[in-house]
Amino acid sequence: MNEQPVRVAQLSCGPEHSGVQKEIYDAAAAVNAEMFFPDVTLADIRRSYDAFGLEVRSGDLKLAIARAMALVEQKVDADAVFIATCFRCAEAAIVRTELRRYIQGNSDLPVVSYSFTERTTSGTLLTRMEALTTIARRRALLAREKQKGTTMGIDSGSATTKAIIMQDDKIIGTGWLPTTEVINSANGVIEEALKEAGLEMADIEAVGTTGYGRYLIGNDMKADLIQEELTVNSKGAVYLADRQHGEATVIDIGGMDNKAISVLDGIPGTFTMGGICAGASGRFLELTAKRIGVDITELGPIAMKGNSKIVPMNSYCIVFGTQSLVNALAEGSSKEDVAAAACRSVAEQVFEQQLQEVDIKEPVIMVGGTSLIEGLVHEMGELLQTEILVPHHSQYIGAVGSALLASGFIEEK
Amino acid sequence: MAKVFIFPATSLILSDMVERWGHEALGAATGIRERIQTPSLDSPPLQMTPEDPKKGLKYAAVEVPCGVRGRMALYGPLIEEADAAIIINDADLSFGCMGCARTNELVLYMIRQQKGLPILDITYPKTDDEGVAFVTQIKEFLTGLEGDKNE
Amino acid sequence: MSAKEYIPTYVGTITKYVFIDSPNVTPQTLAIRAYEISEGLMIKETCFGLQVTGDPETVKNLITELRTVDPAHIFVKDRGFPPGDPRRCRANLGGARPGYYGHEFESGLFRYISHGLMELEKNAAPTVTPLGKKRLDEGKLPLNKLIEIINNEEAQ
Repeated sequence: MNEQPVRVAQLSCGPEHSGVQKEIYDAAAAVNAEMFFPDVTLADIRRSYDAFGLEVRSGDLKLAIARAMALVEQKVDADAVFIATCFRCAEAAIVRTELRRYIQGNSDLPVVSYSFTERTTSGTLLTRMEALTTIARRRALLAREKQKGTTMGIDSGSATTKAIIMQDDKIIGTGWLPTTEVINSANGVIEEALKEAGLEMADIEAVGTTGYGRYLIGNDMKADLIQEELTVNSKGAVYLADRQHGEATVIDIGGMDNKAISVLDGIPGTFTMGGICAGASGRFLELTAKRIGVDITELGPIAMKGNSKIVPMNSYCIVFGTQSLVNALAEGSSKEDVAAAACRSVAEQVFEQQLQEVDIKEPVIMVGGTSLIEGLVHEMGELLQTEILVPHHSQYIGAVGSALLASGFIEEK
Repeated sequence: MAKVFIFPATSLILSDMVERWGHEALGAATGIRERIQTPSLDSPPLQMTPEDPKKGLKYAAVEVPCGVRGRMALYGPLIEEADAAIIINDADLSFGCMGCARTNELVLYMIRQQKGLPILDITYPKTDDEGVAFVTQIKEFLTGLEGDKNE
Repeated sequence: MSAKEYIPTYVGTITKYVFIDSPNVTPQTLAIRAYEISEGLMIKETCFGLQVTGDPETVKNLITELRTVDPAHIFVKDRGFPPGDPRRCRANLGGARPGYYGHEFESGLFRYISHGLMELEKNAAPTVTPLGKKRLDEGKLPLNKLIEIINNEEAQ
């Protein structure tokens, strides 16, 4: 990499004393970014503290406020901002949220905020850091609104692998398989997509990969673009939903983790990614479908017929969630009500654990395989009090985003 | 010579006062030096590793944020080792390594819980007269201290 | 990311900051004095004074000697890191390390401390009003006083 490192300003309290600072450094180094601490004076800290008006007591949080103001007032240059505080600290959580809002509302800087524990590793931070640096480094690429030429996108997810072939801004081929062996699954979906499009690999002008297996497949295929799913999915979502201008929020409840991304003019601003337990993911819905003896594709329509408020269910933990599921069925609850309750529980988990870290701006676009489960979309809409958009091909979101962005590389060839 | 825990643990003035009158100051530098000079896994900048918040479980429960437990792993053993403590109250802590208010509360409580530990409560001077009171009180306190409780 | 082994340097040493805030002695003068008696210690000049690193006993002796230059205007602080450590260096961090603000704040109080130390030189046991911990109810109006005020108001 000959590119200049992306300079990421760190606003934090606690990582140095939790053994996490090294993990932050490592994650940044892996994506050619460098962390730095905006320089302020004691007088700046006092002035900022008074001006910002949030009367916190912790010294490091006061320092974080002063550093945030120095960034917004452009006294210190940065390409991106990383806010990190201890998980379970109420004082820090308030500061983290308010600083994110403040920076987002008063500057163009991409921000990611994260609450860590001593178990947080650079691996956990890597995708977030990669997305942060991508937004900072590739604004031009992310500004692309139309697909050109013939391109392919491959999304190697934890549960499924997807391929999309696009030509002149239209989807002409799709492939979808459960993920088993990463390369084999990718080859399978590529074959399906090429067949549907009536093309051969030689016709493809550029390839983009995303998802957990992106590096393996991308390197194997010599892909033009290997990109984490946060930026790719948000791009794909606003493209398919035809909401490329203005604000939007993208929610992707995946097989292993969930993403919530707030987007402005097609470029992600803040995002959260995670999921403490599979109880807040598509996995729990798969399990529910199996328990009530239906295919996952039938779960949505069944849930729509049920009442989500009858069966108590809390899938904060997938084990407890499964227990409630089994108990409810044993007590004679209808499968419709159970399915609806499962959808509501997953929606609640995502709402409580993740949507608190981004400001929900309408329209809310749901993507990924779980967006096809209409019961889940309905419950999420109820919680957010809004009509949720589910674009066509929403289950192929990563692949579409990759194919769209990859077309930016055709001119370079 | 007595070991005197200082609060704020990063205080330059207290570090000076304690050593000026012949005692040993126990503060942030004491704990950090120990880590910086011990071979372990590389964990910049303070050489504090995820093991520290775990050690901190001795002082704070698992639901307490890791940053508090990590800091307690740094200060807790020093408080236990101390023969005396000097506390600057109502300090304008708008700065410094004592970055976490919750840790400060717990550190102060823990100091006061140590049975028979001589404690000097004081405030930062804001005038010349208070400057005289500040150094006089500290000197008197330190002069009256006996040596190492473990000796 | 693989765990890297950390091999410490300067093991067994201590480092002290020596701050000088004197109308009569400059940091340069202090540095010259320190070099004269350094006995192989590592001495680093800074804008506020010095940093001294070496084995604990020798550092202690040097500090005792240095203090005699201007006892009321020299302040010494213990430091965990050796001098110029990249982990704490402003140039590497982009901003000052957190402890810097503590120094900045406390050095603003040097003049009161210096005044106190000089007074203590003249009179070893001055009478002072103790600076203590404020009680939570300090400065609050006692209840019986409030009742008295109300009663007086009503009587008028």
